[in-house]
Amino acid sequence: MIELALALDMRMTAAQVIEAVAREHPGLRDRVLDEQGELRRHVNIFIDGENARFLGGLSAQVSSDSEIWIHPSLSGGTHR
Amino acid sequence: MSTTAKLSPRSGDLLLMVGTVKGAFIFLSDRTRGDFKMSGPHFPGQSAWSAVFIDGRSPRILIGNKSEHWGAMVSRSDDFGATWTEPTEGNIKFPKGSGVSLNAIWALEAPLGPEVVLAGVDPAAMFRSDDRGETFRLNEALFNHPDRPKWNPGFGGLCLHSILVHPQDPQRMYAAISSGGIYRSDDGGDSWNACVNGLRVHPDVPGATLCPHKLRFDAENPSRMYLQNHPGVYRTDNEARSWVSIENGLPSDFGFPMVAHPRHGGTIYTFPLTADSFRVAPDGVPRVWRSRDAGRSWEPLGKGLPDRNGFFTVLRDAFSADRLDPVGLYFGTRGGQLYGSNDEGESWRTIAEFLPPILCVKTAVVD
Repeated sequence: MIELALALDMRMTAAQVIEAVAREHPGLRDRVLDEQGELRRHVNIFIDGENARFLGGLSAQVSSDSEIWIHPSLSGGTHR
Repeated sequence: MSTTAKLSPRSGDLLLMVGTVKGAFIFLSDRTRGDFKMSGPHFPGQSAWSAVFIDGRSPRILIGNKSEHWGAMVSRSDDFGATWTEPTEGNIKFPKGSGVSLNAIWALEAPLGPEVVLAGVDPAAMFRSDDRGETFRLNEALFNHPDRPKWNPGFGGLCLHSILVHPQDPQRMYAAISSGGIYRSDDGGDSWNACVNGLRVHPDVPGATLCPHKLRFDAENPSRMYLQNHPGVYRTDNEARSWVSIENGLPSDFGFPMVAHPRHGGTIYTFPLTADSFRVAPDGVPRVWRSRDAGRSWEPLGKGLPDRNGFFTVLRDAFSADRLDPVGLYFGTRGGQLYGSNDEGESWRTIAEFLPPILCVKTAVVD
């Protein structure tokens, strides 16, 4: 697990947070988002314990004291 | 066979690059191909769809790896797999706003020399790298082709899997898309034209007519090519202007791979499967079928392969030849067996028995 702290001056969206983190960690953006800026299918973002998909997706609001988790899904059961 | 984490090939040694749904494996042998060392899995947990070895300035292995979580990319190793460099940012990307996102990298080829790498991907598109596979740019002409709305994904996706460049005229290129058809460019990829004249319409699945599975050049005559189509096996003698059926004598017209002998024109190999949804060796008897007369007649090659209960499936990129003498042939199955022949297909033995399902088998002889 990698833990990052980010100082936010204002409320931001989840997408803006990812972009801000990616400025310091440039590999992160393309692994979390596809080239059209969509959250990858098997990646989930949790904001203060809630799945961002149910909070507006990448438009979900993040406050300065929010905790964000980026998780690979533990999905399975296919032919793989 | 022994397993080692580090491979140190010498000039003339053979590399087998094997991509599976759970990672990549690299096998090394001397030119006798009697004993193989294995390294891997590389990218454990990721699928490895494509691979190519480029030499020139220095040796480099490229792998088209895909994480189900973090996406697909072309990764590289300059030390035969001891270490890998994944690109910091995705190195194959569709333009922003195109609405299209990369799914998997089906083909990596270097027919234009070691500096240039061509990639075929899902959804169907071709990319080109001029820096030995580190960065790629989209072939806009094929991506914006007016036929594109008519292309449809097969079970494996909408993949551009075969890329051929005429050995004497690099302006002439071919791309095969499943399901989209075969396209030829006479201007180095600036424009593309469909080349499907003569492919018969599948009675049950009309769209499958435009579902090429693998396309290969003849070794001596690049105007001649061989095609394992979804329905049918074909040859063209006129640079894909028309196709003639060459499936007579095969136990099935369905299969995925097509392999051409690297030196003997007219000698080709395929691996027929029962059509259409079963897709295993007919009657459970896996055989490589060889033609030495450009598809006019065929013979089964099975010494060393199971005579019963061998329900193999060999995917389109999981069968290839080396360029040694005698030629070596290698195929991998969805059951994880890797078979090899060091006598042009006359006899076969297992190189590895229990790999994950095999997606691709590529060969290279180290200079």
